[in-house]
Amino acid sequence: MGESRDRTGTAYALTVITAISPGQVEEVRKVIEGVPRGVSSPLAKLGTVHTSRLQIFDHLVYQGAPQKRDQLRWDYLVFTAAFDGHDLDPFLDSIVDQIPDEADSWWRHCLAYPGLKDRTAFKKWIRDNQVHTSLFAVASPNRSVPEVLESLALRERLVEFAIANQNQQTSAAELRERFRSAFGGEV
Amino acid sequence: MTAATLEPEGAPALPGNNLGRLICLTLFTPVRRQWLPVLSAALWIAKWVPFAQRHILQFNFIHFVRWTVVRELPFAGPREERDRLNYGYLFFESNFDGPWQHYIDAFAYCIPQDIRFVWGRGPAFPYPPPAEPLKKWIAMNSMEGGSYYCAYPESSTRMVMSAVAVKDALGDFVASSADLGPDEFKTRYDQFLSRLQDHL
Repeated sequence: MGESRDRTGTAYALTVITAISPGQVEEVRKVIEGVPRGVSSPLAKLGTVHTSRLQIFDHLVYQGAPQKRDQLRWDYLVFTAAFDGHDLDPFLDSIVDQIPDEADSWWRHCLAYPGLKDRTAFKKWIRDNQVHTSLFAVASPNRSVPEVLESLALRERLVEFAIANQNQQTSAAELRERFRSAFGGEV
Repeated sequence: MTAATLEPEGAPALPGNNLGRLICLTLFTPVRRQWLPVLSAALWIAKWVPFAQRHILQFNFIHFVRWTVVRELPFAGPREERDRLNYGYLFFESNFDGPWQHYIDAFAYCIPQDIRFVWGRGPAFPYPPPAEPLKKWIAMNSMEGGSYYCAYPESSTRMVMSAVAVKDALGDFVASSADLGPDEFKTRYDQFLSRLQDHL
């Protein structure tokens, strides 16, 4: 089961699990916990990311008897993203082109990380550490980030317009003109 | 990863899995190896069955949800140094509108058989209902920490879906009302708002 499993509609679910070099886990933790949030996040610069999480798996949870305990020899950096796109390559290109320093800061302490200067090597390294999604479900599967943001803003504008023009004394002609002025381009 | 605890409703947000009104829940739980083919096949089928997709997304507080069967952890070093685990693992990530209690209750009471099938292939799973043991199990298994990003953190799933519906309807209305006279326009405008009432 390959890359087609990662896609639903126009969204792609990426999961990358990379082993952290010995002794570097606290450095990675410091970096990822310091990543700016919200609109200041480097991921916001890409303009295609719906959601993303960076976290560290440094142990596996023991479920209790009768489980045979699994203990990790390595710590892992886990990067997930749900982004607009049919293929992984353009997304990785956008990371290399737009947020190289930030991406470098959280992956540089991982095993066999080739850096971002060699784009081909970086993409291969990501693919080697990618785990393909088994099932990915999306509430609005064919809506890009810009389209969602635009839709949210448009809804707000329509609500404001409806409230501002609910006065019964507004004539039909005035209403039509105001509406066309406000939304005439929304076809 | 720090101690795995999901805070109760109203508690301060955890930094690594919360932004605005969105929460990201990540579970990484063991699956007995003999069940991996069955679980993988079931998830594969669910992708292509429209009913299954509708079933998964019947809860209108989920933006994105993924399941990934992990047979072994990726490793870029020498093969003999890789982690060798007794179990396969199920990586689960859900991005949803808080509070998380509603999510778990919905899971436990609305789709208990699905939950049992997907997560019951591992050891010591508390088969719901009731919801409380499942909440404890999820709290225990929630992988905490790190950082979380969402492009529209203040918008619930319902808000996004409504906004998309409004955008589509507005485009249609603008196109279909372009040549209407004032009175006909006003009538159609009132009907348009009335139709969209649930989305505004």
